[in-house]
Amino acid sequence: MIHFDGVGKRYPTGVAALSQVTVRIDPGEFVFLVGPTGSGKSTFLKLIQAIERPTTGRVVVDGDDVGALPAAAVPRLRRRLGVVFQEFKLLPDRTVADNVAFALRVTGTDPVEIGPRVQWALETVGMAPRADDLPARLSGGEQQRVCLARAIVTRPRVVLADEPTGNLDPEAAWEIVQLLARINLRGTTVLVSTHNPTLVDILRRRVIELCAGRIVRDEARGLYQATR
Amino acid sequence: MLADAAAGLRRNGLMAAAATTTMALALLVAGGGFVVSANLAHLAGTLEAQVEVVGFFRRDVPPAAQERVLAQTVALGGTSAATLVTRAEALRRLQQTYRSMASVPAVLPGNPLPDSIEVRVADPRRIREVAEALRAMEGVEDVVYGAAVVDRVIALTRAVRVAGLVATALLVGCALVIIVNTIRLAVAARRQEIEIMALVGASPGFVRGPFLVEGLLQGAAAALAATVALTAAYLVLAARAAASLPFLPVLAPGAVLPAALAVLWSLGLVVGLGGSEIGLRRYLTA
Repeated sequence: MIHFDGVGKRYPTGVAALSQVTVRIDPGEFVFLVGPTGSGKSTFLKLIQAIERPTTGRVVVDGDDVGALPAAAVPRLRRRLGVVFQEFKLLPDRTVADNVAFALRVTGTDPVEIGPRVQWALETVGMAPRADDLPARLSGGEQQRVCLARAIVTRPRVVLADEPTGNLDPEAAWEIVQLLARINLRGTTVLVSTHNPTLVDILRRRVIELCAGRIVRDEARGLYQATR
Repeated sequence: MLADAAAGLRRNGLMAAAATTTMALALLVAGGGFVVSANLAHLAGTLEAQVEVVGFFRRDVPPAAQERVLAQTVALGGTSAATLVTRAEALRRLQQTYRSMASVPAVLPGNPLPDSIEVRVADPRRIREVAEALRAMEGVEDVVYGAAVVDRVIALTRAVRVAGLVATALLVGCALVIIVNTIRLAVAARRQEIEIMALVGASPGFVRGPFLVEGLLQGAAAALAATVALTAAYLVLAARAAASLPFLPVLAPGAVLPAALAVLWSLGLVVGLGGSEIGLRRYLTA
């Protein structure tokens, strides 16, 4: 599903964000990406979305070589990915339902399909009763659930979550991770970057640890901290 | 896409209204400048068309020689009319023009006026050349063509045309800058929307489309407002000018407004679309 082969990424400023990263993530996996700030987690996720291109090596996502992907083909790649942001990125002047529908409308989905799919996504994350509310009336946890609904409404093959619990209290954070795990059970590959040790340790899923742009640990049922 | 653009305009109502009003004012000034420039050019053209060269024959030049001069003048090219005027005809005109002096010839021993040739040139800029050629012809004693008037009219015409073009270019430039900035602000206010569009896989055309249509709609709305204002103002002012300044050759509304409105609408649509495109470029390439 996702394959990094000897990937290096150096920004024009000279900062080397990733070097010699080789890793394979198979379809249906649930993976935590951990590591200190500046270790390269965000760059790792940006490469998968083709927001950045690798300086060396190859990044293959669902069969597409990101480095060689023409700009015109990038939207097609991104439609197979669902993205959850730490800061939610909901449009404040639109209702919950409109925010979720936004991802379908801008990708040219048949308008007839939009209503039922938005309903399904909101039910999946438990936000259907708040469909007509504006984001400002929701708690942080609820806003993140709407963000998750927007990520899955396009039925992506992969869900990428960049610090999805960073702005949430522990209870809301646990709800979000449980939802991600439930989405993963349906066969969607889930990749979560996080600084939250509790969630990683409770779920015990595959853990990839980055440090200074290199993979220093890759465990099938790992903990947040490496066991010595 | 049209629905998205309309929704965008609704959501950013105040900003859109500010951009549209600014553009409407700029278009009105540009359209007004065009109309004034066209009228001044028309005035200059009318004055130019009235200027003619008159060559006076020596008293001993027979009609056959005068006919030769007429033929030579026509052969010069660039003339729109050339006619011989006998001294008798000249005297008749004089009496007609100055009726109070109608009895003066009666006390004179004879007709003191010379035979002459009157020439109108197609291109007023060639008037001096035609006058000099006429002066050099056999039997022509003197040539009068109001050189100073002609030169001033030609200079005025040129100045009006150049000033009109420069003013229009400046105003269009100002309108473009204002529109680019207001649309840039509108786009900046919606940068999160654009970012999310790009991240969920909207095609670049889909991201740009509603903004471009928005710019186009704003340009059209501004052009419509300017059209109404300019048409109403011209109809009123042209009617008043015709009533109070009948000697002033004012262009009929039908003769100047279609061209002015075509310019105004083209500018409105191009500036609206171009402004959106420039405004978007910064965010879509950032």
